[in-house]
Amino acid sequence: MQTVILIIISLLIIPVLAAFIKKVKALLTGKQGPPLLIKYYTLVKLFAKGSVYSTSTTFIFRFMPVVALAAPLMALLFLPLAGAPALLSFAGDAILIFYLLGLARFFTVCAALDTASPFEGMGASREAFFSVLSEATLFMVLVLFYRINGSLSFSSYFQGNNPINLWSAEGTLLLLVVAALFMVLLAENARVPVDDPATHLELTMIHEVMILDHSGPDLALIELGAWTKLYFYAAFIANIMTPIYPGKPWATALVFLLIIVFIYFAVGLVESITARSKMNLVPKFILTSFSFAFFATILTMELTR
Amino acid sequence: MNPFFFSLLCIVLGGPLALLFHNNSKFGKLLPVMAISGGSLGGLVTALQHFTAPQPPTAEFLWLDWFPLAFRLDPLSAFFLVPVFGIALLAAIYSFDYLDNPAKGLRTAANYFFFSLLIAAMGLVVCADNILALALAWELMSIASCFLVLYDYELKENRQAAYIFFIFTQAGAMFLFAAFGLLYAQTGSVSLAAAAGLSDGLKLTFFLLCFIGFGSKAGIFPLHIWLPHAHSAAPSHISAFMSGVMIKMGIYGIVRFYFLLNVESVVYGQIVLFAGIISGVLGIIYAAGQNHIKRMLAYSSIENIGIILIGMGMGMLGAAAGKKELAFWCFTGALLHVLNHAIFKSLLFMGAGSVIHGTGTAAIDRLGGLMKGMKFTGIAFLTGALSICALPPFNGFVSEFLIYSGAFSGSSFEGWDFILAALAIVSLAVIGGLALLCFTKAVGTVFLGEPRTVQAEKVHECGRCMRLSMTLLACFCLVIGLFPAIVVEPLAAVTGALLKTNDIPMGDLLAFCDNITLGAILFLGLTIVLMILRSWLYRGKQVDAAPTWGCGFTRATPRIQYTGTSFAAPALEFFGPVAPLREEYTGLDGPFPKPSSYQSKPQDLAEETATIGVALPIFRALKRLRWIQHGNIQLYIAYIVVAIILSILITFLV
Repeated sequence: MQTVILIIISLLIIPVLAAFIKKVKALLTGKQGPPLLIKYYTLVKLFAKGSVYSTSTTFIFRFMPVVALAAPLMALLFLPLAGAPALLSFAGDAILIFYLLGLARFFTVCAALDTASPFEGMGASREAFFSVLSEATLFMVLVLFYRINGSLSFSSYFQGNNPINLWSAEGTLLLLVVAALFMVLLAENARVPVDDPATHLELTMIHEVMILDHSGPDLALIELGAWTKLYFYAAFIANIMTPIYPGKPWATALVFLLIIVFIYFAVGLVESITARSKMNLVPKFILTSFSFAFFATILTMELTR
Repeated sequence: MNPFFFSLLCIVLGGPLALLFHNNSKFGKLLPVMAISGGSLGGLVTALQHFTAPQPPTAEFLWLDWFPLAFRLDPLSAFFLVPVFGIALLAAIYSFDYLDNPAKGLRTAANYFFFSLLIAAMGLVVCADNILALALAWELMSIASCFLVLYDYELKENRQAAYIFFIFTQAGAMFLFAAFGLLYAQTGSVSLAAAAGLSDGLKLTFFLLCFIGFGSKAGIFPLHIWLPHAHSAAPSHISAFMSGVMIKMGIYGIVRFYFLLNVESVVYGQIVLFAGIISGVLGIIYAAGQNHIKRMLAYSSIENIGIILIGMGMGMLGAAAGKKELAFWCFTGALLHVLNHAIFKSLLFMGAGSVIHGTGTAAIDRLGGLMKGMKFTGIAFLTGALSICALPPFNGFVSEFLIYSGAFSGSSFEGWDFILAALAIVSLAVIGGLALLCFTKAVGTVFLGEPRTVQAEKVHECGRCMRLSMTLLACFCLVIGLFPAIVVEPLAAVTGALLKTNDIPMGDLLAFCDNITLGAILFLGLTIVLMILRSWLYRGKQVDAAPTWGCGFTRATPRIQYTGTSFAAPALEFFGPVAPLREEYTGLDGPFPKPSSYQSKPQDLAEETATIGVALPIFRALKRLRWIQHGNIQLYIAYIVVAIILSILITFLV
């Protein structure tokens, strides 16, 4: 029950949180910024429009928005929120979810190449390459989780005898994991310093340039998918960071939501104080996250002895 | 075993029939295709019946009154026969439309002749039960496949490819014969089962010799050098069969001898796992750099062999550590990947063949926009690409998921085994990511966007037989991905027989399959709901068509599109130390520069090293012995006489 309510709340606040980053950036630079409901207005505007399709494109271009939204929504179904078990879960669902996100990426990249635009090709090439490195980090983190917790599903990570929790005995290791996952969040969701969602030059983009030719409801679906994916990563990290208050699920849920807001704030903060890296520095950035995760895993060899 | 031999006979009959009717372009193809597909179908049915047979049938012959040949059809053989006969059947059907040049009638007939020999030889390889039968079948397989590569022998590259292939198969066979010699010398028995009687130290030597011999057939890095050459030279249905099935004979040999040796040391698992990680990661990096579509697929076969070896290596580690469950998951995953790879790699090679047939070029960067002119091939290739990237809901995901599940329980090992298990998991993830890069490059550059050259504009869709084969393979990809239980359940029996255990965790396995089905159906359902939502959103809306937005650039031509080479460039630059790129750029100079050219070619480290470090020194040394070959026939006869006299003398004196 609690999970259902939390998922509904999540779905409602996903666009607000996406706007929250913009607000944080505006406030930190001394501007007033858009209203928090701006993304809702965008959605309404886009849903009301028709579309223009490039004559170069095929069915893949039209199919991609659906997959790009379906995969993150699936991820949300398998993700526990605030310590409560997820709606669905089975052994190994973590792998299924990360591979489904891979499926969405496959179609995003193909749809970009479908337009025959050189700019979209550039974005697609970068997306395909950088995600290779992020996946290495993610699976290293999963190895660490398996060693701590002995399971391979999102729900059981945060439950049972030995939950993955920052405030448990393994907290120090998880501090490294939180840092690594935050870096992956930035990389996978096209945020500074990997990609700048606010830039004005197509040549320097990754995610935004791949969807240049999408318009109307299609674009709205893609945007929704992108926000959901960001929320998925933020909630994943928040699950690790949320302290569990036994017997008080709603207190836990409130803290959980506050931590999510904090993660979004951190994204906005990073975006305000750093510049986007040169493209050839991005692999180093993501590999740093890998070394965090690897280091934490190596440490377990000593701890569990 | 009679039905099995009867099927082989039926297949082999196709060869002479083809040669007999080679002047008749319709009949000359129809008869061998019927013979091969009929025999394969029979063989397939026989193989499926023997998955769970408690008493494997055996057969023994005395060849030339001297050589005992023994055959045995146990569950492992039966499992490997499924891709052999299944893919042979579909490749034969495909070839009916693919080999459609009437001017090459005799050549086509020869192709069918050697193709039928190759199928029969492979059937015998997996059923051989003593070293003589195995050695004979193995050599027959190697020689038949060498001739198949020579189909377009006018081209110098193809002759070179066949030559390299021949050297590698024979060198690999030498290692196998050394292993067999060792076995016979130590045990005095020709039976394969005698391997269990070797001493522990010899077991390792024996296994290493087999690993190199079988590994060169499987295409394990760095013994894979022949593979991209041979697969790109052969006709596409042959490439599909070689890449989908023939290289698995190497895997079969490794699995067979590992279990025959009955060892408990972890070293075997560590060797196999390490080889798997190297082959997997390097294979896919090299694949991403290729511009020839079939070479790319060939390198990706090396990657998939790597994945299979990772599964097997983890399984061996688990078996050595007494973790039966882990071993069970990993071996089942590895065997399922053997089948899955046979399905989707054949599909991809057939799709590539259709592209080559329809456009006349195999260069990825010269194609583009084929999804419009060749929609069927495009969708088939896309299905294969999604499967090979191990994306749900397709079959590649199932086998990788099984291997992952096993490997994760392996991360509770300690020490080096843990490091290897963690490396295996991370490299599987990296391989998955790079496969996505490699195959989005292939799909995106070949089928999407605008045609880059005239060749890509004037295309024709492939014939009906080719479409039939590809449709069936694509359906298998999806069906296994959606309902894995139908293949995992019989496969579990095979793994159980291999591990000599009766307590198969069937409940866990079926639950695992149900989970995949649940996830896949849920995802498909969600996709369909969103598609309905999308079409509802577009109801009554204005939808226009216009050129792609050029970001302010108005005179875009297809040439400004991103090519496959530029798409893969950032990743290749990153992996530069292991996959160096050789670039040739003429440059511009003077106030009126001449037309310039740029060429880039990814270098294969193993090939470079083997050429500079092994082939050239041998060549130089052998050059000094050239004087023996003088062309004087009287002296050659003298050589023979001297040799005979010497050998007689030696027999008498020693």
